[in-house]
Amino acid sequence: MNHEDLVFATVMLPLLGAAFALFGKLTKRSTLTSWWNGVGSFVGLALPWVPLILLAPVVLQGQSIEGVVGNWYEQIGVAYTYDGLAWLIQILGYTIGGAAWIYALGGGPKGNTFTAIFLIQTGALAATILTTDIFNLFVCLEVLGITSYVLIPTSKKPGASLASFSYLMVSATAMVLFLLGTYALYRITGSLAYDQIAQGLIGLDGHQHIVSLMALVLIVSAIAIRVAVMPLYGWLPDAHALAPHAVSAVLSGVLIKTPLFALTRVLHVFPSGSEVGSLISIAGALTAVIAVIIALSQEDVKQLLAYHSISQIGYITAAWGAAISIGTTDTTGVALMVGAYLHALFHALFKGLLFLSVGTTVDVCGNRNVYTLRRGAKALRSAGERFPITIITCIIGALAISAIAPLNGSVSKQIITSAMKGSVHYYLLSAAAVGTIASFIKLLRIFFGGSSEGEEIRIRVRHLRSRWIAQTILALLCILTGICAPQVVSYTARILFPQASSAMLFTYSFSADLMVKTGITVALGVLVYLMMHLRVVKHLLTLIRTRYRDFTGLFVSFSLATAVLALFLIL
Amino acid sequence: MIIERLLLLLLFLIGLYGIIGKKHIIRKIFGLNIINTAVVLLFILEGSRIGEAAPIADASHRAMVDPIPQALMLTAIVIGVCITALSLALAVHLYRVTGSFDIDEIRIRIHHES
Repeated sequence: MNHEDLVFATVMLPLLGAAFALFGKLTKRSTLTSWWNGVGSFVGLALPWVPLILLAPVVLQGQSIEGVVGNWYEQIGVAYTYDGLAWLIQILGYTIGGAAWIYALGGGPKGNTFTAIFLIQTGALAATILTTDIFNLFVCLEVLGITSYVLIPTSKKPGASLASFSYLMVSATAMVLFLLGTYALYRITGSLAYDQIAQGLIGLDGHQHIVSLMALVLIVSAIAIRVAVMPLYGWLPDAHALAPHAVSAVLSGVLIKTPLFALTRVLHVFPSGSEVGSLISIAGALTAVIAVIIALSQEDVKQLLAYHSISQIGYITAAWGAAISIGTTDTTGVALMVGAYLHALFHALFKGLLFLSVGTTVDVCGNRNVYTLRRGAKALRSAGERFPITIITCIIGALAISAIAPLNGSVSKQIITSAMKGSVHYYLLSAAAVGTIASFIKLLRIFFGGSSEGEEIRIRVRHLRSRWIAQTILALLCILTGICAPQVVSYTARILFPQASSAMLFTYSFSADLMVKTGITVALGVLVYLMMHLRVVKHLLTLIRTRYRDFTGLFVSFSLATAVLALFLIL
Repeated sequence: MIIERLLLLLLFLIGLYGIIGKKHIIRKIFGLNIINTAVVLLFILEGSRIGEAAPIADASHRAMVDPIPQALMLTAIVIGVCITALSLALAVHLYRVTGSFDIDEIRIRIHHES
């Protein structure tokens, strides 16, 4: 098999698996149907690891595989590039996808249709990151969108349908504008492939330059909706909170990050891409702080986790945008980009873990309110959990997101903050870290304390075993990537930047300085948590939680963000 | 040329008004369709001006119309149909659950239920 076939296998195998799963619906015998479901899932989620492993030596040597799908003429065909970035994002997608699928065996949703749509989404994720054709990016983003609009309401909650509908309307409108941007680029440059667009954009006159900037604005803001950076986050909390737990894990873990890294390739095409990077970086740092404040005010456990996803994506976009804006030609830029990817990967692991373990707890207790849900440990024990797997894995996830060494979250946050030292972003991100700790002290109380009075709600939850397996896998990965951080960091840097000299590739090691900093952050976090019990603060948080949100607001914030980006680029 | 573009802009704005200004969710879906159509028409219209003859490759080397915008728009139309079908399905589901097509009313009723 040559390399091109291996690259296509990473995209085609999930689609083939989806076809198998749908094929199973033809037969009326339920055993055969579930057999096809199993085969489809194996082909779609397990087999892609074979090409990924075979491609590992290629990306480690720093080669990238480029070409046109089906060996068409360059002018007509769809161009793609398979490099280290594509490989790393696919690893992220298949890890979280596999764990979420195992969890769904027990926690639902189940059935061949779910498997098929889930696999189509995974295939689209794999394709999004390797395409270098602007129209193909449009198609991939639409497939990602359509599959999420279908998967979110599978929890059968009415709120989930509304969340999905709102997401669909705002995202589909933004994608129409993306299409308009594509048109403008095609009109100016006569091409859709990134490298040819880049050539066409050199030396444009005044009018055409403005048109190309507008195209960039439309494309970036359509993608920014998917990434849910402030102020375009409005659709995310409801959608992620009301989706089934397994789907929430994938949405938060993979789906909001892949478009961001796909945007990396687009921004390199435009001469003014670095300016967009600097604006997104500031927006990201602000997102990290504002979202964590809103998270502190939440009552619903999964809404709280959803706001933390926004906050953490703020971290990622802050680092990513800064790396784009200063360029990845020196140590700081390399460190920021590596930090952004690693935080995306680690966040996918620990946030997926948190969504799954908290999901198990709320299913067992039948309560999602973080203030009234107590004694979750006891409820889990009576549901048949002799060894407290769910509690331990949830605590591991909480420690990882709070950046406590040696878990993985501390590694990526340390890389990002030390590369940003001295800037405004640094202080914003440090403040967000304090809020995160306070928020997770609040969250972990669902397992303990509380009076023994009141009715004991016990809901029989079946098939806990597959949930345990999924949670354990993710928890082990959180610990492993934390302990092996120096190796993980240096390999990621080598894969992302094969041309960089070894002097530019930094090394990561645990230090006493880090411990002191973590200690101060934890102490401040506890202080913030205690302050949350003050009456004034409580009142303020209630105001934040019950702030007015509606459908039109999504469009208002989208228009505002687009206008700000346009003004920023033109001026 | 300029009149056609203005008309398409008008069409786009009508659609946008439908999405944002109307409360009825089916009308919002109509609005989405209209803006999608406006962009598709723009692509087709402008694409048809590149070259003259029908895009059939034969021995005569005439200036063919650029076939790429049309091929792209076929894909965009298919995606638009998928989105419309899906959003209508969601609208029907929301109506069954809440008994209303008004977006604010739906939000209030769902909020009361949970």
